[in-house]
Amino acid sequence: MSVSQQARTRFHIDGWDPSYGSAMEDAGETSAVEQSSARVDVAVEVSGDAWAPIAPRTGLAEPDALVFIDGVRRIEARVWIPDALDVSAALGVAASYAAGALCCCPESGAHLLTAEHRRGMFTTDPAAGDLSTRAGDFVTHHVAADEVESPSVILSAALQRELATLELITAVNARTQVVAHGAEDDLLVIDGPLRGRDHLPRALGFIKTHRAIYLPPELNAVVASLRAGERTPVFLMGTSWDRHAWYLRLPCQPGSPWVGVVRVECAANMPASEAIRLANLSQVLLPKYASVEYKDQRAPQNLVPIAGLEKQLRRRLGDQRFIYRALQLAAHSS
Amino acid sequence: MEVGKVAGTADSTPLKFHVAVADGAYLQLDDVVTCTRDVPGVGKVVTSGIVTDVISRHEGASFGSDVFLIADGVMPAQVQEVAEVTTTRVDPELFVPPRPGSAAHRASGEVRDRALYFDQMDAKVPVGLGRDGQPVFLNLEFLDGTRGAHVSISGISGVATKTSFALFLLHSVFTSGALGGRQTNAKALIFSVKGEDLLFLDQPNSKLTDTHASVYSRLGLAAAPFASTGFFSPPAPGDLTGRPNVKGRTSGVNAFWWTLDEFCQRELMRYVFTDVEDEKNQYTMVVHQVAARLKADAVAAGNDGAVSIDGRHARTWPELIDIVCDKLTDDTNEVERRRWAGPVTGIGTINAFIRRLRSSERHLTPILRGDLPAAGNRQISTSNQQVTVVDLHALHDRAQRFVVGVVLAAETERKEAAGAGGLLFTMLDELNKYAPRDGSSPIKEVLLDIAERGRSLGIILIGAQQTASEVERRIVSNSSIKVVGRLDPAEAGRPEYGFLPASQRGRATLAKPGTMFVSQPEIPVPLAVEFPFPAWATRLSEVVDPTFSNSASAGGGDAAAQPAAADPFSLLPDLDGDDGAIAEPGPDEPPF
Repeated sequence: MSVSQQARTRFHIDGWDPSYGSAMEDAGETSAVEQSSARVDVAVEVSGDAWAPIAPRTGLAEPDALVFIDGVRRIEARVWIPDALDVSAALGVAASYAAGALCCCPESGAHLLTAEHRRGMFTTDPAAGDLSTRAGDFVTHHVAADEVESPSVILSAALQRELATLELITAVNARTQVVAHGAEDDLLVIDGPLRGRDHLPRALGFIKTHRAIYLPPELNAVVASLRAGERTPVFLMGTSWDRHAWYLRLPCQPGSPWVGVVRVECAANMPASEAIRLANLSQVLLPKYASVEYKDQRAPQNLVPIAGLEKQLRRRLGDQRFIYRALQLAAHSS
Repeated sequence: MEVGKVAGTADSTPLKFHVAVADGAYLQLDDVVTCTRDVPGVGKVVTSGIVTDVISRHEGASFGSDVFLIADGVMPAQVQEVAEVTTTRVDPELFVPPRPGSAAHRASGEVRDRALYFDQMDAKVPVGLGRDGQPVFLNLEFLDGTRGAHVSISGISGVATKTSFALFLLHSVFTSGALGGRQTNAKALIFSVKGEDLLFLDQPNSKLTDTHASVYSRLGLAAAPFASTGFFSPPAPGDLTGRPNVKGRTSGVNAFWWTLDEFCQRELMRYVFTDVEDEKNQYTMVVHQVAARLKADAVAAGNDGAVSIDGRHARTWPELIDIVCDKLTDDTNEVERRRWAGPVTGIGTINAFIRRLRSSERHLTPILRGDLPAAGNRQISTSNQQVTVVDLHALHDRAQRFVVGVVLAAETERKEAAGAGGLLFTMLDELNKYAPRDGSSPIKEVLLDIAERGRSLGIILIGAQQTASEVERRIVSNSSIKVVGRLDPAEAGRPEYGFLPASQRGRATLAKPGTMFVSQPEIPVPLAVEFPFPAWATRLSEVVDPTFSNSASAGGGDAAAQPAAADPFSLLPDLDGDDGAIAEPGPDEPPF
């Protein structure tokens, strides 16, 4: 795709390092913070008064392949797109993002199934065109300005939405490829909430960070009492969308009450028995992939395959300094 | 065949670049790799090189323990091999680096020949097989004196197989046809200092298998022993028949010695004093004075080479020493003493000379004779055969120096007189003993003369030594062909081995017997070669002919072979581990 001389968008690169301007890294996951009034049905597996840690089962039929889905994003530069009169400018964010799927199966070990990367320019200026640089074209995504939120927040949220879309495409592609390489029965583990992807069969959402407390206090105490490998009973929760969820403690060094605890989600529209089966399965599968403290700053929740996948995806984003320079060059000649 | 692409993670230069090896392909050390790039206005530039290092690593792993996670299928990672290629040739000579991303091919056939300059060699001598199983050649022009001469071979005794390689090189030079019409006039003079290993060069090797022979045929050589040989050994001590002092081989070996008459007439006295420190001392003037006196005053007595000086007869070396000492210490005849010692020589200097002369008595007695019946073939000469082996192992160090010094000086004189018509390859082990880095001695002068002038005289020095760093620099630097076998790690770091790239230096410390690194002026990277198992016997037990020899007590000099005993080898000393002899391979091992 090339951008003609006439349609070339004029822009300037913000001198600040883009990492300073990204206070909203996880905009996609933060919507739950305000949802303090989440509906929770704790009696999916056992009744509320019978809540207790559940030890891992043995002898479960494990899937042929475990597929991890994740995405990475990087803001390459913040750009300013001046209006025709050169009196004011609209903010834009030039970003690279990528999503990929990693298959862990006994035949081939951990291997990359598929990876896609994109470059985009997110801006509130409705007239802006694509940015053409030495490092490739940044496709423009127009975002409606918002009276309340600052532009940087809504641009970041827009980037997150695009990344989620890409992750979804990757997940669908991954599924067909897993079948192609002979795995009959697979299980998808998606890094992050399952939101918008809960129609995917045999998929788990894997949430590392806890931004809200969903359980009533007396049940919350059960989470704190989990030992490594144990999980809470499955519960149904509804914020802006519904899903089954449970807390699971990964093997880790003892520490604060919630250390090593992750929330695992699956779709709400499946029978409770199926959700419980997935919960039992997650208890057996996920601790195997937990990372250790000295190797990963986000251990144990940042699973080893996901860390590896992120590394592979970051590689595909290209060299940051090279892209920044390419953008500078393009800005100069715009 | 494409094996990968030029990597962009390390700097690519015209002289060194890296190739990332593709999945399903491999590159090993010494593989020849080429890549091509289009240069605007010039056209295709082909850069060829040799793999000097290959690394393999897990991309994506940051801790050593990650390998277990990767093996368990928990962590994703990719195994990537990257080969370092050292350029040998850029064709045409436009020194541009290969571009990252361009395809790298394994060279074979004509492309390989071009990469290694074999296409430019008018006469080429095979020196062994490369790692790829293809022949590697030397340019004869750098061996025969046309553009260069001399070979320097370094390596640890016992495992570097220096002697074996030198012999193979001679075999290759003589039989490959590279010499063309000069083949008949090409001679080799070999000084053997370790055991009787080289006394069987004319016998086929019983351990030579079809596999070994096939290596010879791949090199275009005959798997045959040396066809024309002559062997010389010193006379057996205490024997007055002139029988050679050898145990394994009883026929076809000539005893060599110098008569006292020759000693006097040819002024060989100075080769008795061949220690480096000798030259620093005052008494060297006495040496020259005495030599001149002996030449003038000694007259031949009888047919056996004895001499008579002023009426006193000398039939043995001790007797001659006595006469000389008496002349030098004769207090009753001052005039005579001055004539022999020099007019102003002090008594201390004379005594120093006498002390050194006396100390040679025991060691030189076997080879300076006036008591053995004259034999026509006692003089070491290269004229009657192609390969002449002078066996020095039974002689003391001092006598070895004497023989080497006298023979080399004589051959040099002969070549000077005859002109450079034929080639004489002179093979000398332990060169560091004869031409040490420091000091000066008559032998070192002869060797330096050969190193510097031999190229035009047609004398080619094939010197072997454990440590090139201890050999006179001018001899090593005059050697066009440098060969390295297994090296001591401390030695490998010395500047004398600067011609080896770092990785080859490391490899040389673990080179197997039979593997040598051969450096020649035309090719900027030394080539690793494996030379074939000797087609000639390197010890009696390898001789095919069972009637060849019988027992250790056999006598008879040039007498015909004795009948074979029941077990001809039972009395033999075990020569395994001697330098020059390739150890017997085990049943499951390759020949080296």
